[in-house]
Amino acid sequence: MNASERIQAVVSGEMLDRIPLAPLLDHWAANYVGIPVYDLMTNAEKRIEAVLKTASAFRWDMTFLADTAIETLLKVGVPARLKMPGIDLPADVTHQFDESGFMQVTDYDLLESQGLIPFLMTIIERIYPDMTMERALTDLARVNEEITQQGKLLRSQGIEPAIGFVIPGPSFDYFSLARGVNEGLLDLRRHPEKMQKAGRRFCEEMLGLAVGSVAQNNIKRVFIGLSRSSPVFVSSRFFETMILPEIEYYVNGLIDAGITPLLHCDTDWTKFLPYFKRFPKWKCILELDGFTNISKAKELLGSHMAIMGDVPSTLTASGSREEVLLYCKGLIDKIGVNGGFILSTGCSIPVNAKKENIMAMTEAVEHWGWY
Amino acid sequence: MGNDNDFKLLSKSLAELDENSVLRLSDALLKQQMMPLEIVQALAAGMEEVGRLYKEEEYALSELIYAGVIFKSAMAGIRPFLLRSDTVASGMIVMGTVKGDIHDLGKNIIIMLLECYGFKVIDLGVDVPKEKFVESVKESGAKLMGMSALLTTTLPEMKEVIRVLDDTGLRNQVQVMIGGAITSEKFRQEISADFYGKDAIEGIRIAKQVFNTVEHV
Repeated sequence: MNASERIQAVVSGEMLDRIPLAPLLDHWAANYVGIPVYDLMTNAEKRIEAVLKTASAFRWDMTFLADTAIETLLKVGVPARLKMPGIDLPADVTHQFDESGFMQVTDYDLLESQGLIPFLMTIIERIYPDMTMERALTDLARVNEEITQQGKLLRSQGIEPAIGFVIPGPSFDYFSLARGVNEGLLDLRRHPEKMQKAGRRFCEEMLGLAVGSVAQNNIKRVFIGLSRSSPVFVSSRFFETMILPEIEYYVNGLIDAGITPLLHCDTDWTKFLPYFKRFPKWKCILELDGFTNISKAKELLGSHMAIMGDVPSTLTASGSREEVLLYCKGLIDKIGVNGGFILSTGCSIPVNAKKENIMAMTEAVEHWGWY
Repeated sequence: MGNDNDFKLLSKSLAELDENSVLRLSDALLKQQMMPLEIVQALAAGMEEVGRLYKEEEYALSELIYAGVIFKSAMAGIRPFLLRSDTVASGMIVMGTVKGDIHDLGKNIIIMLLECYGFKVIDLGVDVPKEKFVESVKESGAKLMGMSALLTTTLPEMKEVIRVLDDTGLRNQVQVMIGGAITSEKFRQEISADFYGKDAIEGIRIAKQVFNTVEHV
């Protein structure tokens, strides 16, 4: 099996020759190849060179295109002020965000009545006063063209590109960043109707953008960020009424368009895992970051969707090669049994991960990962 | 009005996050010239119940935060009626996110709840250099200091802060609690911190333990 066939098989729940390996790569590629993180985030040529070199060196089946470290996407897609390494932060660290609450309650109405682009530009212009709508749209089109070319390049080297678009999440994930987490959470109680109406418009248009982008770049997987929608932040009551319907809308819409949703779950989702059984069988990837109980995920969803994860960031950053090998072997033995498992890092590879620890993941799969 | 049932109803209303009912009841009790401290104690009991429901995963952060907001709204009405002796906070805590890290979500939640429980918190903000932690502990005489971090790259900074507390002879006067998604009990032991707070409610429990008290209202 080649990498592409392996990924297709694992997502479809078919038997495959070996567990696929696909760590979530972003800033670490810069450190690995020895370029400034700033360059990785801003320069498409240097970024793809770093991604290709890293994914090849560690013999990955699938790699992210450092999508979650692209300055343009972060500025347009995340409603918080981006702090850049090398400018606002030390040169060799990951970016961070200043969440000052750039969205007001009335902006829910704006989103509902005028749609996503006018809404986004209202928020973006508050965060980055010099950024115009024309520039943002031009930059986005350029990035998608770059991703299209980069995807082709990776496939020509036998590596599958991971995702063709990043959906920031259900609207609540976006709103809680834009409003600030406290205000976002309070809005669930104080302005639920406004949130729901605005959220509906947000999801409809976001899904349209995702499907359109994938049609161009032909990378038929879409990342759905699930962070503040988690049981850590919201109780079942709000999840069921405000959030789950939106995730379901994305999932079904993407699947209808022939796209695999990659549900990227930050923090502990164990409590909400049973809800995921309602999604169509063997059409999704559930990506876990080390905080969700992955054994429970296997028990509940192991015959329903592919599970991806979850070598913890603290382990790759501070642990030993032997500890990583042992952790990976545990995953391969327990989560990899009967297929449906992609070995990956828990969220992104941390910027200070040790090379030998990332290589240990490769060694583990190549040694123990064969069926 | 003004009997035990009213206080119980006030506690229950807060536990059930019924904002209007909490504000209406606390106002009515004040108007009946009830002892304001008793009203505050009823609210504190409500917060305890919220904490219990959070521990049992019935509630999530959204409920914790909302409870804190309701508590603070009620307290704004009660505070002018409290005696001076009622309002002296008996625990001083220094809190901050360590240098190199500007994440403040978890830190802000625990600070809000600590204040609800009557602790006095000095919030040093984010990206806090070790010298600032030490200086604040020295100046305030705080017996508890909390450090937060979310990035693996900033974990070593926690160890540095503790080292400087040691070097300046302050380590014996202050207990150190750490928190944040990437911290753990194992890491606490590695850096010789005193407490690891898995979540905000655990942080409250630690503060109560350090200050050896049940209620700080």
